[in-house]
Amino acid sequence: MANRSTDAAAPGSSRSGRISSWRQFRAILRKDIVMELRTKEMLTSMGLYALLVLVVYYITLSQAGQNFEVRRIAAGLLWLVFIFTSLLGLNRSLVHEKDQGCLDALLISPTDRPVIFFGKAVGNLIFLLIVEAFIVPLFYFIFLSSSMTTAMGPLWMIALALLLGSIGIAGVGTLLATMSVNTKGKDFILAVLFIPIMFPLLLAVVAGTSVVLQAEPGYAQTFWQMMGLAAGYDTVMLLAAFALYEFVLGA
Amino acid sequence: MRERHDSRKGLHVRQLKIAIVLVLVGGLLTTAAFLMAFYTAEVQQFGTVTFDSEIETVFPLAPPELQPGGGKIAYVQPWFSQKIFYFHVPVAEASFLVLIIAAYFAVRFLVTKRAAYDTKSRIAMETSLVFVVLTMITGVLWTKASWGVWWEWEPRLTTYFIMMLMMIAYFVLRNSIEEDERRATYAAVFAVVAAINAPISFMITRIIPSNHPVVFQPGMAPSNLLPFIIGQIGMLLIGYGIYTARMSEERLRERVEITKEALEG
Repeated sequence: MANRSTDAAAPGSSRSGRISSWRQFRAILRKDIVMELRTKEMLTSMGLYALLVLVVYYITLSQAGQNFEVRRIAAGLLWLVFIFTSLLGLNRSLVHEKDQGCLDALLISPTDRPVIFFGKAVGNLIFLLIVEAFIVPLFYFIFLSSSMTTAMGPLWMIALALLLGSIGIAGVGTLLATMSVNTKGKDFILAVLFIPIMFPLLLAVVAGTSVVLQAEPGYAQTFWQMMGLAAGYDTVMLLAAFALYEFVLGA
Repeated sequence: MRERHDSRKGLHVRQLKIAIVLVLVGGLLTTAAFLMAFYTAEVQQFGTVTFDSEIETVFPLAPPELQPGGGKIAYVQPWFSQKIFYFHVPVAEASFLVLIIAAYFAVRFLVTKRAAYDTKSRIAMETSLVFVVLTMITGVLWTKASWGVWWEWEPRLTTYFIMMLMMIAYFVLRNSIEEDERRATYAAVFAVVAAINAPISFMITRIIPSNHPVVFQPGMAPSNLLPFIIGQIGMLLIGYGIYTARMSEERLRERVEITKEALEG
């Protein structure tokens, strides 16, 4: 896979001595997507895992009775699926890089280190968004379509909350997963580092998703407040992750 | 060579002496603040504690005709649960300060790559964790006395809990890496991320409505402010004392390691 990134960027290098950051970024992203298209490993494992979590939800809710309003806790349940699947996906995405020596090859190649961060983070974001696009409708049909109240906020609001949450998960997660794959207890360490750091973002996006799902009067104001918080968190933490990634790669 | 060794040994002993003096003075000041809290501090009616419904507390409530109303609760002994303020708040503020110092040393490490800064950052993080645990314990005691429950997922308690988890994660991360330089770098990166994350969590708690009392208001009585300041200074001295003692222990350990290697080789 390491060859692929240099192959893809090769035409540009003949014209100028240096490849532009944009081309480097595209090469890294393309490498991840081509690899996924060939093996289909990440999406199958993440999708299957998410389905299994939904089965566990069914078991959890099976004794709750007819009058229990799943809608009140639906946002939290939904984000819980994404937390677990993204932990799995992030770990896999960087284990590949490490086991096949791709990260070392990228470091030897004249790629800017910030570009490696954005390439990996955007790749992880795309995979997470695909899984979300597949799970959200399924979750709605399984748990919410039989609900007594059908009032719900517009869909684009939920999409916005999912996008803001996923950006934070993919960005900060890429930094933390790059660290955790080099430790002894890979996935355990990732969970220990990831969940406390994600806490403020999750609180904001779960609150935002929840108000839209329940659509009580005046929910838009709370929604925008929460989205503001999530966007602020994303900005600050992505800048920090961007600045610190170079040190993690260098170690 | 011998002379240099002697002077370095002298430094350790002096550091340890300073540490002991600091802890003693700090302990004395904290105790003074504790006594002042009971003897000189006047009782305040900080009316920020509100309840949704009936509660059970270990302290008897005042009879109904003396209750202030408006969702506030009066106790027969309103003074008792206030006393923890002079311990709880200084410890909590000291824990933040030491966390910031740990993050500062982490940044210094990332810039200079000198192992000494990594040790300093780790020791500061340890000291901060001690304070965080003390804050949690005193906080939970106060919660039980004042709100009638041991724990409530109230935003400020929650974020403090998260902060404690991040510090534990810091040490878990350190323990799972073998190579010295990689361990130091990853730990420093995580310390910086955690230090950025902590204020964000606290800001979010300010936006979400909370019933944690906000004690600092303009016009706080001098008899309350004085023991608080004394307690705060005492706590910072204790913190610095613990830090110095651990640092001198760390340096001794490093010297033992070097001597061991020299003897084996």
